[in-house]
Amino acid sequence: MRITPAEVAALALSIKVALLSLVFTFPIGLFVGWLLAKRTFPGKSFLNTLVLCPLVLPPIVSGYLLLILLGRNGLIGGFIYQVFGIEIVFSELAVVIAVSIISFPLLVRGIVTGMESVPLELENAARTLGASPIKVFWTITLPMAYRGVIGGTILGFSKSLGEFGATIMVAGNIPGKTQTMALAIFSAVHLGEDVSVYRLVFISTIVAFVALWLTERFTLR
Amino acid sequence: MADSPQIKLDFRKSLGSFILDINCTLETKVSAFLGVSGSGKSTLLNCVSGILTPDEGEIIFGGEVLYASASKINLPPEKRRFGYVFQEGFLFPHLTVAQNIRYGQPKRRKPSAAIDVLELGEFLQRYPSELSGGQRQRVAIARALAMEPRMLLMDEPLASLDTALKERIIPYLHHVKDAFDIPILYITHAFSEAMALADEAFLIANGEIIASGEPHGLLAAPSAMPIAQLTGIENILFLPVTLSDKAKGVTSLEIEGQSLVIPYTEAEIGETVPIAIRAEDIIISLEPDLSISARNTLRGTIQHLDVKSEATWISILVEWHHLAVKITHQAREQLQLKEGLEVYCVIKASAINRLWE
Repeated sequence: MRITPAEVAALALSIKVALLSLVFTFPIGLFVGWLLAKRTFPGKSFLNTLVLCPLVLPPIVSGYLLLILLGRNGLIGGFIYQVFGIEIVFSELAVVIAVSIISFPLLVRGIVTGMESVPLELENAARTLGASPIKVFWTITLPMAYRGVIGGTILGFSKSLGEFGATIMVAGNIPGKTQTMALAIFSAVHLGEDVSVYRLVFISTIVAFVALWLTERFTLR
Repeated sequence: MADSPQIKLDFRKSLGSFILDINCTLETKVSAFLGVSGSGKSTLLNCVSGILTPDEGEIIFGGEVLYASASKINLPPEKRRFGYVFQEGFLFPHLTVAQNIRYGQPKRRKPSAAIDVLELGEFLQRYPSELSGGQRQRVAIARALAMEPRMLLMDEPLASLDTALKERIIPYLHHVKDAFDIPILYITHAFSEAMALADEAFLIANGEIIASGEPHGLLAAPSAMPIAQLTGIENILFLPVTLSDKAKGVTSLEIEGQSLVIPYTEAEIGETVPIAIRAEDIIISLEPDLSISARNTLRGTIQHLDVKSEATWISILVEWHHLAVKITHQAREQLQLKEGLEVYCVIKASAINRLWE
């Protein structure tokens, strides 16, 4: 009944990919969240819609669009293949990109909600006290928005851990290379490996439960 | 004490259909802008602080151009170094009192003198949510002073406080005025505050300055009655103490030969104290000797009647003091009040408030 090396590899890959995705998306999410919460500029609603799109699109569709974009003949993939000789699709990097796109809206929504709750008057007060807009961001906006930021981060991270549709489209389901937890469960079900399914489902449930519980703890008073 | 730097405000700012059109020069230490809510006084302060950008004009502080539409100069708020005390305080809720005060303070400075002046030493480790309204406002003032500002902007710093608290904070503002040698731009709708603090007052209505001058002079003139109505004020008088009896709980003041009894207040014989009487707290009688409990009856002459939609405003001259009185139209008709009539102003002692210590 012991957990198999393949299952450990899938779990490890899921966690690694979710963490890597967070490292990339968190700074961008802070910036985009700040733009959406605190700035007015032309094209704001377009940016907002673009960011939220993966939340409402079927992940399979997002994955397919990514596949077209990142493939060897795609706009971005083709360029990178010609310049660096690297193929993005069906690699670990493709998994990171896929889960980043899918989890990004959740991260940004949390950050926007948190930052919108910080009164403009407090930020103005800080400006009159000699703080530059950047100092205001680090000392007033971000600390006061921390509940939303942490909530968005944990939700986005959990989403990354369990992402399935976009990942399988753009990265395939290669055991030991691009097979994450969700993909491993999918394969195990297909192959009728019930015991393996139970173990993986149990682990996934625990991870999801803990993540949600942490969100609640940090975002509710 | 050094001369206050000259501050030139000459700018226009429209917000929707409202237009603020300001043109004045501030030369005294404390300048008050008086006006009702919606008169544009907060917009004025936001433009001076740099939070709002005027549409057109210029703002010059002691020769330094802070804003000039012609030469496209617009210093951001953080470069202007004006301490801003907001009506609602706007303390940073996630920082302690000490951290709030230190927020704008230049690096490597000793704890600000403002902490002592405003008696905040015991609250330094608390969070704003653990303070009373008055304490919070004192912290807001200290925070603005600790940044070592070139000027202090105060937007109704007392408006969110009740009367008793206001009277306790005003002495602190006096300490601030004396201890920190910077100009203060004070915005209020209360004449009493302007009189208590300001060297010069500007009356602002519908986005424009309609009168200006030394605050006592602004109020003492008969033309002050519309101002009184505009700012919803009480009558404010400065009267000498003739008798103070702690046991009986009364203090007597003299108003040009007539006596005015007020609740006991700590004051020396001969000392002049400022008092306020609300216009609606004065009863007009045609007879001097009424068997009623009110302690004060002042003889005066009706100088002017002003019939407004909601009430009749009467200006009564008691020797050279003007009292603004608000009565119903019915009362005016029944008593057949007219200009030049000798009347008696009946005032309960408890309706007279001492303004500040």
